[in-house]
This record gives sequence, structure tokens and C-alpha cells, in this order.
Amino acid sequence: MSSMASAITAPALTSAAAPAAGRALRHRRRLRRADLLTVVAWASAALAVAMYLTHGVALAGIGDLLTAGGIVAGLVGSDLVLVMLVLAARVPLIDRTIGHDRAMAVHRQLGKPAFYLLLAHGVLLTLGYAWADRANIVAETASLIGAQDMPIAYLSLGLFVAVIVTSLVAVRRKLRYEVWHLIHLLSYAAVLTALPHQFSQGTVFAADTPQRVYWIALYVLALGAIVTFRFVEPAVQSMRHRIVVDRVERIAPDAISIHLRGRDLDRLGAQGGQFFTWRFWTGRTWWHAHPLSLSSVPTSRTARITVRELGDGTRALQASLRHGTPVTFEGPYGIFTDAARGRERVAVFAAGIGVTPARALLERLDAGRGMVSVIVRASDPRSLFLWDEILRLCQDRGWNAWVSIGRRGSGSSSWLSAADAHRGVSMRSAFPHLDDSEVYICGPDSWADAVEHEAHHRGVASAHIHRERFEL
Amino acid sequence: MSTRGTLGGVFASAAVLIIGWQIGAAALGHPATTTSTGPTGATAGSGSNGAPTSGSSGSGSGSPASSTLKDGTFTGASVQTPYGEVQVSIVVASGRISDVATPTLQAYDGRSERINSQAVPLLKREVLQAQSAKVSMISGATFTSRGYLTSLQSALDKAA
Repeated sequence: MSSMASAITAPALTSAAAPAAGRALRHRRRLRRADLLTVVAWASAALAVAMYLTHGVALAGIGDLLTAGGIVAGLVGSDLVLVMLVLAARVPLIDRTIGHDRAMAVHRQLGKPAFYLLLAHGVLLTLGYAWADRANIVAETASLIGAQDMPIAYLSLGLFVAVIVTSLVAVRRKLRYEVWHLIHLLSYAAVLTALPHQFSQGTVFAADTPQRVYWIALYVLALGAIVTFRFVEPAVQSMRHRIVVDRVERIAPDAISIHLRGRDLDRLGAQGGQFFTWRFWTGRTWWHAHPLSLSSVPTSRTARITVRELGDGTRALQASLRHGTPVTFEGPYGIFTDAARGRERVAVFAAGIGVTPARALLERLDAGRGMVSVIVRASDPRSLFLWDEILRLCQDRGWNAWVSIGRRGSGSSSWLSAADAHRGVSMRSAFPHLDDSEVYICGPDSWADAVEHEAHHRGVASAHIHRERFEL
Repeated sequence: MSTRGTLGGVFASAAVLIIGWQIGAAALGHPATTTSTGPTGATAGSGSNGAPTSGSSGSGSGSPASSTLKDGTFTGASVQTPYGEVQVSIVVASGRISDVATPTLQAYDGRSERINSQAVPLLKREVLQAQSAKVSMISGATFTSRGYLTSLQSALDKAA
């Protein structure tokens, strides 16, 4: 237990001081911590059900079975919703352990099961009660809606429907991010409107039971994490560091670097490869939060981010940002970092605007000559961003760097340009030590999938592959 | 999620659930407590929370309950049902049950509370009429009825 606690609270070792053994140990500890968090999440749901079971459960007939099923579905569903809240709360422990994007991937995976459980909760209890009362379902529903706090519980279910349906991949693609996000914020309302009926109707908050204490603790933990890490902490940090736009630099026909200025930016604790969610306070841009990676590690006074103008939001930036535009932020997030590394050798794959975190990662990577290989891909020379900087970094330190420009090939080399694949370049030829390397991948999803697939095929375990996902 | 983490989660959950189930089965297996109260004189309501005497209520279920009852207030054992604890006390005056009360009537959820509030007055009326625990269960409130009548019987046993 004490070794666990020290792993969590110890400040990150500076990479220069970390010998290879220390790196491998830290990596193993992080994986163990991830497993422990998984166990805690499972157990939180099991404990909720077990506490209900300690009363003894009546299972005398079909009505009882339906009712018990409905209660268990509600308990597990509520617990999953709280786990989802915690995963979305940007809790530093979780971010350092599995990374923000992984946390959000799990958050998304839990969405549908949680929703089905909450629906089942409503349906099974209605059926179970109707069976016991020998009433029809319409009459039973009417009597349920009539009970204390039940009208807003039905409202809560409706809100959950709205949140989940708009988050289904097919629906979400059709919505603007802002519309989706606004609807997604309704999940807070959904959680809060479900609460009263859990107190007055549910077994969850029955007076004088350990269940009540347990659930109140869960709710305080989840909502407290949201308030602390999504609202209070970012506000305090934004006020403390007072970041403003210094200047906007066009680096390509469709990409800009935003140079920022602020106080004590080296004390943000940002590592190369991490990202922040930025908000630029001009009339046209304030309502849009941009998740953007640092493209160089902050100094005490300056930081830099690089943006590809892909949508309306990012296009508005260049036109709107001025010297002195105030900037607020949440972060730093992500484990696309040297600290998350478990092996001495490093292989970096970057494509398109995915070079930004790779560029910042390389800046502070602690590795000897010949230990790092970097490949940067672009569909055409104009979308080859920050290449000169990456090349210079690699040349200075004796690392290998290549580019692969042109249309993507097919088959196992589809992550390369067709021309490079044709002349026989492969993952084996470019990265002969890949199976003994820490692999960092950042770029468009379909391309990154191809790289990851090939890396797996070459024997790299998932624990040594790091991806930063740009596309949500 | 790693396989190790998932398996750990599954086994931890299974263990927690089994423990919960075992505790629940044990709780339903027998009355939760065997607190009982001796006769406290003819004054109704006085000392239904009197000093507990050890031991359970013993045999005697189904014993005739008419004129052989001692006067006083008698509190039955507290009975655990899946929906909460039930405990019944009776007031005996001139050898007859003159009042029935439920010092403990727990409901874990809102629905059980509503069911109890309908069933308990009906049970009370039937008991006062029958002057015994041999009354029919209230349909839709089987567990509450069973718990109520079990506790009632243990109160009657003490009054016998």
C-alpha cells in the first residue's frame, strides 16, 4: 500500500535522472495502477449490488424476479454513470495513469451499457410492480408517475435518451460539435434529476443504511471531481498564469502556430507531447474550446501551439486572434510523454498535424544517439508541418528522421506513401528494433490504426504503444 | 483494459456479490433480533421498549389466544423481510387483545412504504377481530404480512 501511495504522489522524476531500470519500473507501476483502477470501478458496481443483497431479496415469483432485476439494473446503471462522470472529470491520477484519450474511450464504451441498464431499470420495475399488483402496464406507469419525485425521474430518463442518442456515432457525425456538446451537458441535469427518486423511492438511499452512506459518498466523489477538475482548477490556473496571445504565425497554407505569453509557464507542469483545452476570448471564438497539443515545451514566459485549420472554429482563429487576446485553458493532459515510456528505444510515427505533439515530445526526450527513429508522413509537401524543426532536433542528437510524402499505399505498408512502399520500405526496414521500442503514434485515426496494427503485428505489446487521438 | 485488470475486476466483484448474497440469505433465515419485553402492567403503551430478556420466544406457535392471555404490553421479535424489518407489539386488557402497534415498520423503498401503509391497518383490523395470529395474508403484501404475523405470534407467546 505504501509503495502504491508513493507511486501516486511522488513528483515525476526528471527524465535525465531516470536510469533505464527506473523507467521500466515506473512503466510497470503505471500499468499496475491502471489495473487497480479497473478493479475499483468493477468493485464499485459490485458493492452497490451486494449492499442491496444484504437485505435478503425476495425471489418468490415472476413479479419478484422482474422487480429485483429492475433494482439491480438501476444500481449498476447509476454506478456506471458515476464512473463515466469520473472518467470525464480529468482527474490527474486517471490522466497520468491511462491518459485522457483512453479515459474518454472507456467513457464512450460505458455509455450504451449504462443507458440500457437505466432503461431496463424503468421497464423491469414497471413490469414487476404491474405483475405484483395485477395491474396493466399503463395503469402501473400512471401510478408510478404519480409517486413522489417520479415525474422528474422520467424526465431524467428522457434526458439520458437525448444524450446517448446524440452520441451514437452515426448521429454525432451529423451534428455540429457545439450542438452535440450542449446536449451532452444535459447529462449533468439527467444525473441530478434522477437523484430525488433515489432518495424517496429507491432502496439506494433508504434511511439508516450503509447503502445511503455509500451512495452519498459516490455522488460526492463524482460530482466533486467534476467541479474541482473541470471548473475550479482550470479557473485558478488560468488566472494564475494569465496567458495571452503573443502573435500568430502562418506556417503553411492551412496551418498556423499561435505563440502564447504568460507567467511562470514552466510551472504548468506540461511535458512535451501533452495538450491543453484552450479558449480564446474574442467575440467570435470564446464559445469554442480547442483541444490542442503544445508544439514546443513551454519556457517560463512563452508557449506555442500549432493548429491546422480544419473547421469553422479553427479557421476563425487566424482572423480573430490579436496580440493580447486573453486565453484560458484546461490541462495539461495526456500521456504521449517521455514519462510514460517503458523502454530505451523510441519509435515515433507522426502524420499531418499529428507532428505537433511529436515535435514537443522529441524536444525533451531523454535518449542516446541512435536510440530514436522518427517518421513523418504527409499527403503532399504543403502539409508537412514543422519538419525542419524535427529534422534539426534529430540531427543534433544523432537520431534518425525520415519523411514519407505522397498518397498512401495499400496493404501492410498502407501507413507509408505508395511510392515508399513500392520501393520496398517497410516497418521492418525503417524500424529494425521496433519490437524493443516504445512506440508513439499521432495522426489521423485511419492512418494511426494502420500503424498500430502493423506495430502489433511486429510484436509490440499494447502497453508500449502510445497514441494521441485528435479526432473525437 | 488489460486482461489482468479485467479479470481482477470480475473476481473482486464476484467475491463482493457472494458475500452480499450470503449476508442477505442469513438475514432472511431467522428473525433479526430476539428482543422481547415482559409484561408491564395494564397501562397501555408503557414500556414497549423495556429491558430485553434473553432467549427467543420459544415454541407455542398456533397456541390458542383467547382468554388465557395475561394483561400488559408485549412486544414481539423483530422480523427481517426483504423490504425491511417488522416488529409488532400488543396490548392485552381483560385477557383480550385491545390494541396492536408496529414499533418497527421499516421500508427500504417508497413502494414498500406505500404497501405497508395499506396492509398494516388491514392486518390490525383482522387481528383484533380474530384475537389471534390466524388471519389471512394481505395479497400484494405477502412478506410484510408474514413478518407481521410472525412477530405477532411471538408477542402472543409472551402473553400466554
